[in-house]
Amino acid sequence: MEKLLEVKNLEVSFQTYGGTVKAVRGVSFDLHKGETLAIVGESGSGKSVTSQSIMKLIPMPPGRISDGQILLNGDDIVPKTEKQMEKIRGKEISMIFQDPMTSLNPTMKVGNQIMEVLVKHQNMSKQDAKNRAIELLRLVGIPMPEKRVNQYPHEFSGGMRQRAMIAIALAANPKLLIADEPTTALDVTIQAQILELMKDLQNKMDTSIIFITHDLGVVANVADRVAVMYAGQIVEMGTVDEIFYDPRHPYTWGLLASMPSLENDDKAELAAIPGTPPDLTNPPKGDAFAARNQYALAIDFEEEPPMFQISETHFAKTWLLHPDAPKVEPPEAVKRRMRQLSSTFEKPVLVKEGE
Amino acid sequence: MAEKLLEIKNLKQHFNVGRPNMVKAVDGITFDIFKGETLGLVGESGCGKSTTGRTIIRLYDATDGQVLFEGEDVHGKKSVKELKKFNRKMQMIFQDPYASLNPRMTVADIIAEGIDIHGLAKSKKERMERVYELLETVGLNKEHANRYPHEFSGGQRQRIGIARALAVDPDFIIADEPISALDVSIQAQVVNLMKKLQREKGLTYLFIAHDLSMVKYISDRIGVMYFGKLVELAPAEDLYSNPMHPYTQSLLSAIPLPDPETERARRRKSYDPAVHNYADNEKLEMREITPGHFVYCSEKEYNELKAQNVK
Repeated sequence: MEKLLEVKNLEVSFQTYGGTVKAVRGVSFDLHKGETLAIVGESGSGKSVTSQSIMKLIPMPPGRISDGQILLNGDDIVPKTEKQMEKIRGKEISMIFQDPMTSLNPTMKVGNQIMEVLVKHQNMSKQDAKNRAIELLRLVGIPMPEKRVNQYPHEFSGGMRQRAMIAIALAANPKLLIADEPTTALDVTIQAQILELMKDLQNKMDTSIIFITHDLGVVANVADRVAVMYAGQIVEMGTVDEIFYDPRHPYTWGLLASMPSLENDDKAELAAIPGTPPDLTNPPKGDAFAARNQYALAIDFEEEPPMFQISETHFAKTWLLHPDAPKVEPPEAVKRRMRQLSSTFEKPVLVKEGE
Repeated sequence: MAEKLLEIKNLKQHFNVGRPNMVKAVDGITFDIFKGETLGLVGESGCGKSTTGRTIIRLYDATDGQVLFEGEDVHGKKSVKELKKFNRKMQMIFQDPYASLNPRMTVADIIAEGIDIHGLAKSKKERMERVYELLETVGLNKEHANRYPHEFSGGQRQRIGIARALAVDPDFIIADEPISALDVSIQAQVVNLMKKLQREKGLTYLFIAHDLSMVKYISDRIGVMYFGKLVELAPAEDLYSNPMHPYTQSLLSAIPLPDPETERARRRKSYDPAVHNYADNEKLEMREITPGHFVYCSEKEYNELKAQNVK
């Protein structure tokens, strides 16, 4: 498959009064055409910063991309100027934000907000743009688009606003769509509609999607591949089946175990992950998750674990996969979902730096 | 079954009464809450679930209907003294731990506010001891007492909110989306804490939320609301295994589960209120289909559901 996006060793930091916050600490991943990659993690794990760096929407200063490359179709966008980025944003990459209430301009008609993109990127005439806007609104399932196109955001409901946002994002047929918690503010039934709509549009337009969320249910629904982030790093990455049926990192175990499932009816206590995420002004020595990790080994407090490869597509950053590590049993709730996957290597392989 | 702690009878909460923009936020709901149980209340935004909670605790004056707490009407005329007595028994935990704590008060003062109002501590020392004890109960420690809310993370703030609710030794706590604003790994911590407190203190909860998997986990019974009406009320297990009202079915079919295989096979049902096809003269009310399982339906639907559920 063709690679659309390659992120290599991305590091983003912010200068604050309290010191430098290393929000993203060496993130690498790639994204194929037409694929959906879900990034999960708690607030502060760096998932939003990672995606905003891809759009270069980080306010600089105080933010800074201190290292790494972001290759879009083989072209590095990190050194690009603001002027050059304007040609990419909305056209090549576009974004859907979490809160449809605040991310639309309340003083502009919805139609004009869609037309803006078309006039700028595709040099359409106003009339053509308007017709296309109506078409787009119809595409995202807004009834009576001829009338809706002349309305203001406050006349739309939450779900309708998110649809309008999607219409804006898709107006210029972008190759990459970044959706930052697009359904978190919506009700479950509306969420289901929006997810269906996004999948449907992806099939029609062959867009790649980076889907940021903390809801593992949504991940299971939309993702082809999943990256789990913790404290500014990807700690595990794999196909959706590998993450849900054969997770290897204790943090992923913790996330999966802390969710009650609808089927199991035992009233046992939820396996909560104790403590809170670390402060990234001074990232702890060794593994950032060690302090909250009941499986932590002595080395976790000393040295950062390397990436291990479990299958062609499955990676995890934990010492537990080292040949010398003791065998550990994942929590009960995770063991129940574990299964043998055919693609798994016989033994985890250490990924060498720079490969 | 256990004794009733709370009886809600035909409760109505309408806003802007008499004006064209009148909203029937809660439109005649009836249910009981038993001592020591957790009743979950779910529904989409705008269905009236939060308004129900706020009306029960008298943050709003009910338009019509009754709320009986241990047989006594909450909304009747009350002297200041009676109100105070009642307020001690019922407390609330709010959704947004950032907005519900006064940023200018120290944690100790926030927690002790109820203690001060109700005169539960005889001396300063006793007051502080009580605060320390509460902090410990919710998993914080003494040193936190003199800090301000902004120094805490979301999960810790929600713990402070819980400590504040517990300060006056209530029997009944209304938790309005207490975990919605928290991270997944923190949600489990708070839910575990709430369950532990329930076991230790015999609390009764009304748990309002839209996250159905968490609601099922914590609740004994669940009520589903739709447009100001309670459409289904059943034991938690029963509601999930055998949802009867079409709206409940549609709601359950929309929750994504953390399991890729189920998700690939998912068929979503949508709910169209027109399916009921009610005639004008049909009387709609909560009817008991199987023991403890109530559905808001007409006589005709009742007979159909009854026939389907004969064992």
